[in-house]
Amino acid sequence: MEKFYKKWFLPLALPAILLFVGVILIPFLVGVLYSFTGWRGAYFVGGGKNPFEAFVGISNYVKALHSEKFMNALVYTLKYTLIATVWINAVGLCLALLVNKISRGAGLFRTVFFMPNLLGGLALGFIWSFIFEIVYSKFVFGVDGLIHIPFLTNMTQDNTKALFALVILVSWQMGGYMMMIFVNGLNGISQDLYEAARIDGANAFQVFRNITVPMLMPAFTITFFLTLANSFKLLDQNIALTDGNFGTRMLATQILRTTRDTNPPDYGMAQAEAVIFFVMIALVTLLQVYLTKRKEIEA
Amino acid sequence: MTFANAIHRLHPKKIRVSTVLIYLLLIAIAAYTLFPLAFLFVNSFKGQAAIVSSPLKLPDIWDVAYLENSMKAIHFMSSLGVTAGITLISVFVQVVASSLVAWMMVRNKSKWSFALFMAFTAAMLIPFQSVMYPLISMFDAMKLKNIPGLIIMYGGFGLSISVFLYHGFMKSVPRSIEEAALIDGASVFQIYLYVVMPLLKSTTVTVIILNGMWIWNDYLLPFLVIGNEPVKTLTLELYYAKLTSGQYGNPWEMIFPAVLISIIPIILVFLLLQKYIMKGVTASAVKE
Repeated sequence: MEKFYKKWFLPLALPAILLFVGVILIPFLVGVLYSFTGWRGAYFVGGGKNPFEAFVGISNYVKALHSEKFMNALVYTLKYTLIATVWINAVGLCLALLVNKISRGAGLFRTVFFMPNLLGGLALGFIWSFIFEIVYSKFVFGVDGLIHIPFLTNMTQDNTKALFALVILVSWQMGGYMMMIFVNGLNGISQDLYEAARIDGANAFQVFRNITVPMLMPAFTITFFLTLANSFKLLDQNIALTDGNFGTRMLATQILRTTRDTNPPDYGMAQAEAVIFFVMIALVTLLQVYLTKRKEIEA
Repeated sequence: MTFANAIHRLHPKKIRVSTVLIYLLLIAIAAYTLFPLAFLFVNSFKGQAAIVSSPLKLPDIWDVAYLENSMKAIHFMSSLGVTAGITLISVFVQVVASSLVAWMMVRNKSKWSFALFMAFTAAMLIPFQSVMYPLISMFDAMKLKNIPGLIIMYGGFGLSISVFLYHGFMKSVPRSIEEAALIDGASVFQIYLYVVMPLLKSTTVTVIILNGMWIWNDYLLPFLVIGNEPVKTLTLELYYAKLTSGQYGNPWEMIFPAVLISIIPIILVFLLLQKYIMKGVTASAVKE
């Protein structure tokens, strides 16, 4: 049997290996290489068609780190990621706790909360941009609206407000998904623990703090992983809501637009931004998984 | 839930009040969740003036002319077909390629097989943005900056997560059945098709849903590969419709119906397969 598997290993693994090498590995390595060259898309500054004669050292990275737009996008993305990760997890957890408290209709509520997650960020962003611009600004939170809250008006036309508009949109979209993962985690907690705590006279807050949260750590590992990755790479919603105007570009949008900002398109610099982006995502993701995993073991 | 029931027996009155409160809260959140969709639906039957002046009112006349206009503007039948075609073929490629490689990696305990698995796993850390420019330029040079090229790219990008899911589940599949099939004279493809794949059905469903949802809704890759060519995907049609209509001051009477018809197929599929979708998406997350 060993022989049989050994014989078929390469032929059967080949399609996946080819796709992996051709679509991810080579472009990734080429991308790192090109980030050190004067790449302009169709040609290389100083090298014509040959990237090896067009090395510019780390000047693309220097350019990127000195670019106001890139640094803005970096800070904006970090701010958004921090707020969105906390908020989306809080929303998801609250929804899960609420849905788990009831028996009748729980499935229906879960379905409703989960539904927005299926739809594309671009389509949803278009609907929400209208809601923010007209419904929020005129009918609900405007001067003549239900309650006048200036912060919730014209949210897509201001740098800070737009950040929260994005959080509102994405938490609406992703909250139900995180809820599903928390529900899964909650159902895995043994009822004996709750029973024991009740006999010991623990109050609801103590039970939540000392049983529910520690036992949910594996779920938190997943939800944090998903929300962090999603926040860092957010693009569609950013484009649909503000199109990156008013200094609201996220990193993904910035990398996409760098080649449009410059003439001739500076692909070398865009690629340097992309490499920095990769390093950040890899570091944050590994750190997060390491930290939450450690909590899991302690729990 | 059993905990709540247990308390329920002890303090029936107290629970009833809080249960009512929980239901009220849940209904309020559900209304909030559904509001943008209901809003979209209502405003898909109104003209620009009525949408802007009274977006929260039901239309005076349910006029389907706006829907018809939008269908024309985003070439609905053609873009629906293109999107469905791209999604189906890409997902098929992903399922076949990832299940085969995962099967072989689990059955071969060599250094190479481990290294390959590590490569697939590590690739999950690579964001699309850091490969997209070289990828597009390479594929352009190979005359693959088109729909077949797009399918190959999806095949590659969905691979990591799919391999990971299959690999995780395959470990629990005993090899003795495969041995028995081999002794009975089955070929490797017969073993794959009739022994391995049927045991992996639930993982396959998860892989299909996860990748299908993403590819169907994807904006960036089609934007980079197809751009403003005549044949576009639904999301791309929507993007360009918004872009061109924005030049004349946001005619929402075109955007709303366009968004509505572009999400109807997904909602229909979801309502039909919701059990599998919700289970599949959660299962995949828990495996990670």
